[in-house]
Amino acid sequence: MAHGNDHGHGNVIKEYMKVFWTLCGLTALTVIAAKVHFPLSWGTPGDILHVTIGIMIAVVKVIAVMYIFMHLKFENPIIRAFAYIPTFLFLVLTFALNFLETWDYTYVMVP
Amino acid sequence: MSAGLSLAHEPVTKIPSGKLAMWAFLGSELMFFTGFFGAFIVLRNANYDMFGEGSSHLNVWLALVNTFFLIGSSLTMALCIHNAEQGNRGKQQLFLGLTLVGALGFLVVKSIEYSDKWAHGYFPTQDHHTLFYSFYFIMTGFHAMHVIAGIIPMLFMWIRGFSSEGYQHPGRLEALGLYWHFVDLMWIFIFPALYLMIPYHGAAGGH
Repeated sequence: MAHGNDHGHGNVIKEYMKVFWTLCGLTALTVIAAKVHFPLSWGTPGDILHVTIGIMIAVVKVIAVMYIFMHLKFENPIIRAFAYIPTFLFLVLTFALNFLETWDYTYVMVP
Repeated sequence: MSAGLSLAHEPVTKIPSGKLAMWAFLGSELMFFTGFFGAFIVLRNANYDMFGEGSSHLNVWLALVNTFFLIGSSLTMALCIHNAEQGNRGKQQLFLGLTLVGALGFLVVKSIEYSDKWAHGYFPTQDHHTLFYSFYFIMTGFHAMHVIAGIIPMLFMWIRGFSSEGYQHPGRLEALGLYWHFVDLMWIFIFPALYLMIPYHGAAGGH
């Protein structure tokens, strides 16, 4: 693979370790963020802030895994298209559905 | 590699066919899980208290241990492929073995979690928790099946790696690595969705 020639053995391992520790740190952040109590008036029962923060942290984790572990950083544009299009659709659906549904139940259905 | 195997670079795209096929498969797999997430999101918001109550019985610590197993095994899989590219057969075997340990550890923890839920009567069929536990068992169950589906070729490659000639199909190892990272990616979403994102405020709806 291309990246094997572009980067030294040690650099690749360092990069992988950085991703690993980033994933561990972001997992801890996800748990902490979920335990924070936001005022009820900010958007419960849908809890829009918890969901938005949770999804955003997950997106950063996904980018780290796809870009470094799955080598998209060095990949052919065709492979990138195969990876990015379904991921984009997945994220749009989760984001849009969460936001619209939460908004609906928080501000429309609940008086 | 024998001439009969079509893992060579495809002439137009210059991409190994096996790798392209794996990415196409992972795209369809993502759409498969997207259906579950879409249904989960809609029904969660319509049944917020019921989902919150169901989620509050899940063990976040066990899920965290499993997250560590998957993140760790994703790292060791990446290191295994890197060492395979470098021709370090010993380290390739070591890291593939560690990936297997992570995968099996995930299943052990998951079985502890499932048996605990069953012991307390949490089934998808039980009236009060029906909807949340239907999602819980289907989403984590399909994910666990993907883990098992990854373990089978991983075990095969690992055992073949001990033969005198070693495991000589780096393209297949790389495709397996992509699949394994995908399993990790799905857990990155399943973990907060089921275990964390439904803070339960009690039946009265207050803190």
